[in-house]
Amino acid sequence: MGRVIVVTSGKGGVGKTTSTANLGTALALLGKTVVVVDADVGLRNLDIVMGLESRIVYTSMDVIDKQCELSKALVRDRRVDGLTLLAASQKNNKDDIQPAQMKAICDKLRSTHDFVLVDSPAGIERGFSNASAGADEAIVVTTPDVSAIRDADRIIGLLQHARIEPINLVLNRFSPELVGNGSMMDQADVMDILNIDLLGIVPEDTGVITSTNRGIPLVYEETSAGAQAYMRIARRLTGQQIPIPDLEQKGLFTSILNWFTRKS
Amino acid sequence: MANSIVALRAYRDGLHLIIKPHLSITEIEKAIQEEISRMNRPLNGASIQIDLKAPTLQEEEMAYLRSKLKETYNLTVREFMVASEEPAPPPIAAAPTTHIITQAVNPPDSRESEPSRIIPYTIRSGQTEDFPQGSLIIYGDVNSGAEVRAGGDIVVLGALRGNAHAGMNGRLSSVIIAMNLVPMQLQISNYLNRIPIGEKSRGYPEIARIGKEDVIIVERFVKF
Ligand SMILES: Nc1ncnc2c1ncn2[C@@H]1O[C@H](COP(=O)(O)OP(=O)(O)OP(=O)(O)O)[C@@H](O)[C@H]1O
Ligand SMILES: [Mg+2]
Repeated sequence: MGRVIVVTSGKGGVGKTTSTANLGTALALLGKTVVVVDADVGLRNLDIVMGLESRIVYTSMDVIDKQCELSKALVRDRRVDGLTLLAASQKNNKDDIQPAQMKAICDKLRSTHDFVLVDSPAGIERGFSNASAGADEAIVVTTPDVSAIRDADRIIGLLQHARIEPINLVLNRFSPELVGNGSMMDQADVMDILNIDLLGIVPEDTGVITSTNRGIPLVYEETSAGAQAYMRIARRLTGQQIPIPDLEQKGLFTSILNWFTRKS
Repeated sequence: MANSIVALRAYRDGLHLIIKPHLSITEIEKAIQEEISRMNRPLNGASIQIDLKAPTLQEEEMAYLRSKLKETYNLTVREFMVASEEPAPPPIAAAPTTHIITQAVNPPDSRESEPSRIIPYTIRSGQTEDFPQGSLIIYGDVNSGAEVRAGGDIVVLGALRGNAHAGMNGRLSSVIIAMNLVPMQLQISNYLNRIPIGEKSRGYPEIARIGKEDVIIVERFVKF
């Protein structure tokens, strides 16, 4: 039986889709069978980030409407073995799908894949309940800014309420320079507030944008810091013990100093 | 954030307006205006003590300030304290409040007979905990965007980052204690803090209570 993991955040634009595409690809590169599911009905873009948009024929909506078999709706990624995408309908909206229908799809996918990664839309409404309906685990993505963190905190509360466990954190767009000069929250501050397990830190990486535009997930760019971060996270997901490297180059002393000099 | 010329502080004995030395009366006036405009509610009717860090203001300038504060902000100056040149001890807190509704009767202190409720987890953004019957004890954090309300005291054995309202039944002796007191907003009975208490922990537990002069004061919690 595979694991169904919802990738969610609360706040929009923090990197859910980027993380789903990269972790899905990374897990497949590690030899796992993976399906990435776009749950952002009406605003889909996982297909674009994966570079598969031209090959989509059926969506999860067609499966629900019994227009096609689930297996036929899965688009195979030809670059790596064992990776498929289930696209979301772009014509419909989030209320056209019921949580129970999403759960049924996830339950079926779990029987044939090691990992089912569900890319959740932003927000705490129907889109989120659909995306999390079939999940047993969650990855919460946040950036190190107060509004994203507050929304992540909100989502964590909702996930706990829904008894989805474990809930792991991916801290995205982390910039050691900004932490160093005192203008970004550091890892410890974030973890202190959210108080869940840290799955990994992905640095701010301009490669993400070019890879999105080309439809080639960053993890193929083996030398990039972002790719390496996503590979490490994927390994941790498979149970390997990989320490989280210290991205904060500046020492503790500098941050304390910054803290004192930042404001009077 | 506080402008460096004047600072409004809540001490045990009430509100203080601290003024740096060697400044012209115009500079001081402007700084006071800025400091007071930072608050979202007027300090109407409060009485304050003015602390001068050095004897650099003339008698007539002090008299002018006194009448100006009365006229413009309806603030009564209790007294001028002129410090010698060495620095004064650091303030206990920076959290004046305003008196929203006058409390006619002061209900008896019922802390010991009140029930209390334990919340053995962190309260996250969007979640609330209400316990009008008595006091709340939280074995976790109250995060930003979360809210806790209690009839009596609120004790947070973690960080208080959200909103807390103690003494919602009017018990003015209610207190809010947190290992890490960095709230958005505090309310005790019908007193609300107005100057932000600060977003960085001072590294020791603190207690908020209603002090003299209608203000919530915050100080280091040593023992009750
Ligand atoms: N580590 C990173 N470094 C640089 N840019 C990034 C990083 N992660 C994401 N981005 C950029 O941030 C933007 C939003 O990313 P993405 O679409 O993955 O977020 P999302 O959470 O799925 O958004 P939505 O809530 O709209 O679904 C994209 O332009 C992406 O290229
Ligand atoms: Mg997205």
